[in-house]
Amino acid sequence: MTVVDTRAALRRHPPAGQMARLALRFAWRELRGGLRGFGVFIACIALGVLAIAGVGSVAASLADGIASAGQVILGGDLAFSLIQREASDSERAFLDAHGTVSVAATTRAMARTPPPFPPAQAGEGMEGATLVEIKAVDNAYPLFGSLVTDPDMPLAAVFARNNDAFGAAVDPTLLTRLDLKTGDRITIGNVAIELRAALTSEPDKLAGGIGLGPRVLISEAALRASGLIQPGSLVRWQYRLRLPDADSGDRAVTSIEKQAQAAFPDAGWEVRTRTKASPQLERNVERFSQFLTLVALTTLLVGGVGVANAVAAHLAGKRDAIATMKALGATGGGIFAVYCAQIALVALFAAVLGAGLGAALPYVIAAAFGAIIPLPVAPSLHLGVLTLSIVYGLLTALAFALWPLGRAHDISVSMLFRDQVAAERRWPRRRYVIATASIVIILAALAIETTYDHRIAAIFVVSAAVVFGVLRLVAMLTMWIARRLPRQRSTVVRLAVANIYRPGALTPTVVLSLGLGLALLVTVIEIDGNLHREFTAALPEKAPSFFFLDIPSADADRFDALVRVHAPASSLERVPMLRGRIVAANGIKADDLKPAAGSRWVLRGDRGITYASVVPAGSRIVAGQWWGANYSGEPLVSLENRTAADLNLKIGDSITVNVLGRNVTARIANLRIVDWENLGINFVLVFSPGTFSGAPHSDIATLTFADGGTTQEETALIKALADAFPTVTAVRVKDALDALDNILTNLVLALRGASSITLIAAALVLGGALAAGQRFRIYDAVVLKTYGATRARLLTAYALEYLLIGLVTVLFGVAMGSLAADLIVTRVMEFPFVWVAGQAAGAALAALLVTVVLGLAGTFTALGRKPAEVLRNL
Amino acid sequence: MGDGEGRGPTGNMNDISSYPSACDPSASDAIALRGVNLSLGRGAARVHILREIDLNIGRGEAVGLLGPSGSGKSTLLMVMTGLERPDSGSVIVAGQDLQQLDEDDLARFRGKSIGIVFQAFHLIPTMTALENVAVPLEFAGARDALVRAEHELSAVGLAERLHHYPAELSGGEQQRVALARALAPNPAIVVADEPTGNLDETTGREIIELLFRGHRERGTTLVLVTHDTALAARCDRVLHLHSGRLDEPMLHGAK
Repeated sequence: MTVVDTRAALRRHPPAGQMARLALRFAWRELRGGLRGFGVFIACIALGVLAIAGVGSVAASLADGIASAGQVILGGDLAFSLIQREASDSERAFLDAHGTVSVAATTRAMARTPPPFPPAQAGEGMEGATLVEIKAVDNAYPLFGSLVTDPDMPLAAVFARNNDAFGAAVDPTLLTRLDLKTGDRITIGNVAIELRAALTSEPDKLAGGIGLGPRVLISEAALRASGLIQPGSLVRWQYRLRLPDADSGDRAVTSIEKQAQAAFPDAGWEVRTRTKASPQLERNVERFSQFLTLVALTTLLVGGVGVANAVAAHLAGKRDAIATMKALGATGGGIFAVYCAQIALVALFAAVLGAGLGAALPYVIAAAFGAIIPLPVAPSLHLGVLTLSIVYGLLTALAFALWPLGRAHDISVSMLFRDQVAAERRWPRRRYVIATASIVIILAALAIETTYDHRIAAIFVVSAAVVFGVLRLVAMLTMWIARRLPRQRSTVVRLAVANIYRPGALTPTVVLSLGLGLALLVTVIEIDGNLHREFTAALPEKAPSFFFLDIPSADADRFDALVRVHAPASSLERVPMLRGRIVAANGIKADDLKPAAGSRWVLRGDRGITYASVVPAGSRIVAGQWWGANYSGEPLVSLENRTAADLNLKIGDSITVNVLGRNVTARIANLRIVDWENLGINFVLVFSPGTFSGAPHSDIATLTFADGGTTQEETALIKALADAFPTVTAVRVKDALDALDNILTNLVLALRGASSITLIAAALVLGGALAAGQRFRIYDAVVLKTYGATRARLLTAYALEYLLIGLVTVLFGVAMGSLAADLIVTRVMEFPFVWVAGQAAGAALAALLVTVVLGLAGTFTALGRKPAEVLRNL
Repeated sequence: MGDGEGRGPTGNMNDISSYPSACDPSASDAIALRGVNLSLGRGAARVHILREIDLNIGRGEAVGLLGPSGSGKSTLLMVMTGLERPDSGSVIVAGQDLQQLDEDDLARFRGKSIGIVFQAFHLIPTMTALENVAVPLEFAGARDALVRAEHELSAVGLAERLHHYPAELSGGEQQRVALARALAPNPAIVVADEPTGNLDETTGREIIELLFRGHRERGTTLVLVTHDTALAARCDRVLHLHSGRLDEPMLHGAK
């Protein structure tokens, strides 16, 4: 017999394109009949993609809204912002030459009700004097958008002078806080203000950022008459410019911005244009949406467990068809290609479905809540966002599907000939392991690369991987232990324990998916609890009770004396305060400096700066030498240590700051570590005395009661100070922290909402696993019933099984989540971690309940089956 | 087997001498097994299933394979089709030494050169009759797969059932589709593993007629595993397998 070697001919592979078409054709044939069996798969991927696409779309729509409302938010086409000084005549002339100018001055001040103060109510501090955010505008205000007051009246009528009183429109919360109504009077600085109307809508409110007190809108004349404008007092002057309609294109805006910088290089003003009306807000929206995206990614990860289960179950049902195809000439790789194409098609469908629903989210939000949310949402389709979310969905599906798909490569044809179960390979061939690893790496790289703060994203990716790995181990260990437990006498316990380790057990699925979801939720809960604690409980213990702003330098001694009289047991720390912007370092312009993410804020806008002859309290020198108490040489500066590192600056380098329109360059003499949490007066930049000699400025002070202070003490002090120093602003630290805590609570609420979606995904995965195991359960139940087991006993056995698995899951989910929170709180946020039990326990209990209830609900049908009908069909 | 003069159902089946000895391979052999041994299972459960099998099947020959359950019939079939590698010995099918082929080459070789008919049909439930028949052609890269599949289905009398799914076909119809599928690539060899085992007698007879017609008209080598001695008797030659050993030669005429 002539033996011919036909290997060469056999190895002539069909072209890759033909193979791909073939795979798609076969995949499509199988899917024609519908997507039965892919329900959980589709739900898991669609849910995760929906979360990512939804977060991205809402954030993008918000950014669009902010951008398209740029003129309104900014109050003009361009805004020139100065702190502590008004525009010079030449600067003003420049602005007037380019269009209509409107001036808005903002500052903080104390609003006092005229004596007699309303009767103090027990427990309510601060009656009679409260912090307000003043905004003084001219008659051209607003240049864009419209001001709405209640009662509705023109601005001129609001501001009209009534004998000695100026008019104002105020935030309704001020009326409630001071128990006033329209028509009543308050005193701000040295003038009487008549409250003419409540502010319903202030068009340019968003650009102002977070206010510590209610808004009081007065006329520029009223502000000038109030005496609040002192040399060096913290008044921000904004000059909004409206270009003539004929010449208001983006090019004109950019051109004026450039001209202004060229004409007044040392003005030190911050110029904003309508396209970047509120970079801070946009940045915050972007950052926050990226945190939410990471949370949403966890949803995908949890759902991935469902994908792996669904693919494995699907392929188990296709074993005959796969073996047949192999008998008909399909190679293992060909089988992989066919089913990979099929899974990719289903994943694409699910991802597009999720992305579609996510894309609809901004429209839904705008339609349902547009009127009540304070942010402008301009819903539109964001293809980039949607594409990214689909890519995430596809990659996740593949990452979890490749493993079971790879195992299909080795399904043996011999099963068609003999009725025996061939030993399954646990691991697929190396190429599939490598492919899975590659996709996981791509997924991680994508998550890190598309996030603003790479470090946070990297921490997330590593934590997720570690938690995933640990939970996988926990599942394996649980099954290992269950297998080796001594035989139990009770049938119920024996059945429950056996169900924990038998092939196809729920253990790995529940521990992984529910454990992961729970870990994330607990992480968020613990971080939330710790932030809350830090803001409202831990900090105030060591924090001062008051910040005082705008203390006139000349009157400072009188101020100190008055504090000593009214609060003898308190300690007062008072330092000079100027506002300045870093404009250059080592001669490199600030715009060209590329600081690490953690220190970018230092270069944004103006910062408080001070000078001192001794090391400020709460600071410690870590490098270089402090200047002597009587130093009077060249300007030196002390820089906060981490900022120096982020800006890549060292001792001997120079920093240029613009203060009151003058550029001052100082050499870095030393580096300090600052304890920010003590909420004392901390500055990134501390200059040597004499650096700003002649620059008018005011002082700021902190006041700390030795024993924390009572409300009565605080109220008495504030009243006395407000009378003696009407232009000094007192910020009650507790109120400020409450305001911050409020904002934080709202943000965390969103994070928690997003985290809860992972639990929904986990429930889906659990539901899928239960459905897949239903056949075994029915068989078990029927056989055991045949041998005399009652339904109650079976139910107890199942409940015990779910309870045991749930307990392991909850234990490790909470532990991993708490550990992650601990790391984030102590390493990233850098404050001590305290485990908050209450809500974590609640989440754990909920997860346990979900496992048992969902499990029993899924199993209940198994119990109801009559043995005879099942046995007949076995 | 000599020069192949004894092939075909009309050959002189009673003449033992016209059949080659097992040790006489020749260019006209479709299948040549030499010293094949195969054990399956592990440790104590390991069973020596095929023992020193020497076998030559000529091109175009029809061979019936008889033997009790567990005698190794299916395993022998799997060795012939390259689905199972022997522990020792050589397997040459359609001139190709199967030992030299890796797994993927074997799959492609099967697709082109071997048609398999299973007892349980094993049609792919998500594909129509037409698509089922086209599968091996498609895997082999044939551009006219569907046209040829339609032709094959007409040949087994199912021209009207092209777009039916397996669940919509009777058992006999399903096996006809499977037969069309096995014959579609014009393989050198067709192996049938108890093709009538799941069918009633009448339907089974129809299938057998079709099977032999294909063998006759295309000159395909046929290996038929069966319990049915009468059916085996229709073959040119009958092999008996006992506990993994071949009692050969045994002609049905010698019964």
